[in-house]
Amino acid sequence: MTCHPRSTPAFRRYMRRFLIATGLYIGTFMIGVRLVPDDAPPSPLYIGLALLPGLAILGWIWAMGRLLIEMEDEYLRMLEVRKFMIATAFALTISGVWGLLELYVTVPRLPVFMIFPLWCVGLAVGQIWNRVSGA
Amino acid sequence: MKNRLRVLRAEHGWSQQALADKLGVSRQSVNAIETGKYDPSLPLAFRISECFGLPIEDIFLREEPSS
Repeated sequence: MTCHPRSTPAFRRYMRRFLIATGLYIGTFMIGVRLVPDDAPPSPLYIGLALLPGLAILGWIWAMGRLLIEMEDEYLRMLEVRKFMIATAFALTISGVWGLLELYVTVPRLPVFMIFPLWCVGLAVGQIWNRVSGA
Repeated sequence: MKNRLRVLRAEHGWSQQALADKLGVSRQSVNAIETGKYDPSLPLAFRISECFGLPIEDIFLREEPSS
C-alpha cells in the first residue's frame, strides 16, 4: 500500500457514495423547498417530501460505515474511528449543554436538524486532533 | 508496547515504505508502530514476524509492570 490514505480504493468508493448522497440531498431539499408551502399541513405528501432529504443523510452515514468496513489498513481505520468518536463527543456535548441552556435561560433554540452538521464539524475537529497528536 | 521494528528494518536496509509494501499497509502504519503510537493487531504482528523471519516475541517486547 504505497499511496496516500485518501487515494485508497476504499476512500475513492467513499467519496463516490458521499457525492451521490450529497446530490440526492440537494435535489430532494430543493424539491421540498419548491413544493411544500410555508405552514404546510402535516399531510402524507408533505411529510414524505420533508423526509426525502433524510434518505441522503442515511446515505452519508451508510457511506461512512462502509468506509470503516472496507478500509484495509487497520491503523488508518483506527484513526477514522477516533475521528468519529471525537465527532460524536463534540455533537453530543454541544447539543446537550445547549439543551440545558435552553431549559434554564433564554437563548436561541438549536434546531434538531443541526445535530448532524454539528457532528460533521466534529469530524473536522477529530481530523485536527489526529494531526496535532502526531498520528 | 516496545518493539525492535526500526532496528530490524535498518538491518535489512528497508525504508518504511518498503516495509509497508511488504506488509500491505500504509507507511503511516509502519511509522506509528515503530514510534510506539500504535500496537498492531495479532494478524499484522504475525505478518511482521514472517517478514523478518523472527518469532513475535523477538520483535515485540513485553513491558514489565512497574512495581
